[in-house]
Amino acid sequence: MKKRCLAFLLLLSLVTVGVFASGDQESADSGKEKVVLRMGSWRMDDVAQMEAVLAEFTKTHPGIEILFQPTNPPDYNATLRLQLESGTGPDIMYARSYATGIQLFEDGYLSDLTSLPGLDTTYSEGNRAPWMTKDGKNFAIPFTAVSHGVFYNKDIFKELGLSIPESWSDFLSVCKKIKAAGYIPVANSLGDEWDINEVVFMNLAPNFIGGREGRLAYDEGKTPFNDKKVVALFQAMASLAPYLPEGFEALTYNDSNALFATGQAAMYFDGSWTLGTFSDVDFDWGVFAPPAPDGQKVHYICFHPDAGMAINSSTKYPEEAKIFLEWLGSPEGAQVLAENLPMGMFPMSNIAVEIEDLHAKEFLSLNEGRQLDVRWAWPELLGGDPSGYNLMMEGSIGVVTGRITPKQAADNLQEGLAKWYPPAQKW
Amino acid sequence: MQRYIEGRSQPFSWFLYILPALLVYLVFLAYPLFSSMLASFMTGNHAQIQTFVGFDNYVRLFTEEELSTRYFSAFRNTVIFFAIHMLVQNVLGMLFANLLQNKHLKGRKFYQTIIFIPATLAIIVTGYLWKLILNPQWGAFNLVLKALGSEHANFPWLGTPGVSLVVISLVSSWQWVGIPTMFFISALGNIPDELYEAAAISGASPWQVFTNIKLPLIMPTVGVVSTLTFVNNFNAFDVVFAMENVNGAPDYSTDILGTFFYRTGIAGQHPIGIPDRGMGAAVATVTFVVLIIGVALIRHITVKQDEA
Repeated sequence: MKKRCLAFLLLLSLVTVGVFASGDQESADSGKEKVVLRMGSWRMDDVAQMEAVLAEFTKTHPGIEILFQPTNPPDYNATLRLQLESGTGPDIMYARSYATGIQLFEDGYLSDLTSLPGLDTTYSEGNRAPWMTKDGKNFAIPFTAVSHGVFYNKDIFKELGLSIPESWSDFLSVCKKIKAAGYIPVANSLGDEWDINEVVFMNLAPNFIGGREGRLAYDEGKTPFNDKKVVALFQAMASLAPYLPEGFEALTYNDSNALFATGQAAMYFDGSWTLGTFSDVDFDWGVFAPPAPDGQKVHYICFHPDAGMAINSSTKYPEEAKIFLEWLGSPEGAQVLAENLPMGMFPMSNIAVEIEDLHAKEFLSLNEGRQLDVRWAWPELLGGDPSGYNLMMEGSIGVVTGRITPKQAADNLQEGLAKWYPPAQKW
Repeated sequence: MQRYIEGRSQPFSWFLYILPALLVYLVFLAYPLFSSMLASFMTGNHAQIQTFVGFDNYVRLFTEEELSTRYFSAFRNTVIFFAIHMLVQNVLGMLFANLLQNKHLKGRKFYQTIIFIPATLAIIVTGYLWKLILNPQWGAFNLVLKALGSEHANFPWLGTPGVSLVVISLVSSWQWVGIPTMFFISALGNIPDELYEAAAISGASPWQVFTNIKLPLIMPTVGVVSTLTFVNNFNAFDVVFAMENVNGAPDYSTDILGTFFYRTGIAGQHPIGIPDRGMGAAVATVTFVVLIIGVALIRHITVKQDEA
C-alpha cells in the first residue's frame, strides 16, 4: 500500500512539474518581443522542408517565428477539429480543399481572408476556388497542388521497343506487349480501396469527361451521371483488370509502389507526391500523361489542389499571421517554396518559379499544352450520403473485379447521387 | 449496546473500502457510458451547436437506406465473426486443454507457451504480420502453395468477398486461442481425481469421460469463456482495421460493428473526415444493448445447463 501511495505521489508530482514547466515556457515566450506562431499540418514527412521555408521567412521578418507542428495525416481532421473546439488550435494551419475546409470556415474557426492584399492577383480564380465558399469568401490561400500521371519504367519500354501511348487503345496494346514479355503491365491494386479511386479513376476522369467544362456539365445537372462518357470511363477501368498484378484484389498501395520500384511492373498510375520514393531505384524512369479516349484532340491532366494555408479566427496574432501568408504569395516566398517544398508538391501562385528536380520538372511539364482540372468528386460530390467519392470507388472496384458491368457502375453513380444531389435529380 | 456501536461504524467502513474503486468506476466507466448515451440523442459536430433530436439518430440508423444497409451488413458479419471464434477458438481451446492436462505429456510447458504467446502480441502486430504472410505477391503462405504446385498460388485471401472474413476470423482465433485454453486447463485441474478413478474402474472410454465428467463440471467456465468471446467479438475492431482498413474491404464484406462505428462516429468517411458523433454514439448504444441481451442469454443457457 505504501509503495502504491509513493508511486501515486511521484506520478502526481511529475504531472504537476510538467504543467508548470510548460506554463513557464509560454509566459517566457510571450514576454519577449518575438511573436511565436504555431502551424498545424498533416504533412509529417515534410518537417525538414517546412522548417527550412519558415527559417527563410524569419530571416527577413526577425520579429516572427513560426513553429511547424504536424499531426499524423489520418488523424489531422479529427485532431484539428478537437483543438479548435477546445481553443488550443494552431495560429496558422494547412486547410483541406473543398467540403472539409469549408465546414471549418462555416463553423467559425477560420479567418476570412477575402481582403488579404494580393490574393486575387497572386492566385488565379481556379486556384482559389477550392478554398472559397459559394458566396465568394476566401478562407485560405492556395498553397500546394499535386499532379497525377503514369510512371513508367524507361528501361522496360526501351527493351521492348515501346513508345509512350497517347490513346487508350495504344495504352492497352502497350499493356499487352508488356504482359507477353513477362512483366506486370500496371502496378496498381485494390487492397487499400482509396488508391484505385484517387490515383486511377480520378486520374483518367478529366480525359474521359472533358475536363473542367465536362465536369461542370455533370455537376450542374446538364448531363446525367450515367451518360456514355461515364460508361466509357468505367469501361476503361474494367479493361485494366487483365494487366494488373496477380492477386491485385489484396495488394495494397505500398505493394503497388514496391512492384514498380523493384522493376517488376512497367507502369504505375499515381500522383506526383510519390516522386521521392523512386529517387534511388536502379533503372531509368519517367512520367507520361494519362492516355485519352481514342481520337480525342484535347488532352487533360488531373491537377489537384491539396493544401491551403488558413488562419485561426481566434489567434492572438492575426496581423503577424497575415504577414506570413502575404509573404508566401510574394515572389520571394514563392521561390523559397519552390526550392524547399517536398518533391511533387507544386506551388500554386501565378509567379513563375524554377523547379530543380528533373522528375518533378518532367511531371509539371505534362501540363503544357493540356488543360487542367481537379479530382472529379471533390468540388461538389463529397458531401451527402452516398458520397460521389464512394460511388466512384465502389464502381471502380466493382468493374475491375468484374462484379458489375461499366453500365451498372455508371447507373449506380447516377442513382446514388440522385438520392441527395439536386442536379442529379433532374434525370 | 455493543452491537449497536459496531453497527453504527460499519456502514462507513465498508463504504471507505469501495470508495476508490467506485470513484474509478464512476469517472472512467459510468460517466463516459452515460455521456455517450446522451450524445446519441444529439446532432451536430462540435460543442457549440449540439442540438437535441430525440430518437432521430436511432430512427435514421434503422430506416435510412445507406445507414441501415451498412449497419445490418456489419451486424451479420459480426455474428459470423463471433460464430467462427466460438467454433474454432473455443473448440481448439478445449482440445488443447485436454491434451495439455495430461501431466506425462513431453514438452507440456513448451506447447503451453507456444499456444499462449500470440495472445501476448498486439493485435495490430499480428494483423500486419498475417497480412504480409497472406500477401499474394510476396507472402509466405502463397509461396508455399506455389512450391506445392497449387493452382491457387497468388490467391488474394484478403481481397475476396466471402473468404476474407473467414480468414480474418481464423487469424483472430489463432491469436486468442491461448485464453480459453488457459481457462479450461485451470477448470480441468479442479476436477477431483476420484472421479477419474471411478470412471476408469467402470471402464469408461476417454470420450465418455469427457462428455460425462469433464464437460458438465467445467460448464461454468464454458459460460465465462463464451461470454468473454461474445463481448470481445462484438467490440472487435483492431484486427479488421489492421488487415482490411476502415471500410472492411473487399466490398464491405469484413465490415464489422467496430469498424462501422469507427467510420461513422470517430474518423468520418474518407476523404471528408467529418464524423457524425451523435450517430456514432447511437451505434455504440445499440451495441451496448445487444451485449447486455447477449450476455444475459449466454448466462441463462450455461447456468441452466449447470444446474441440470
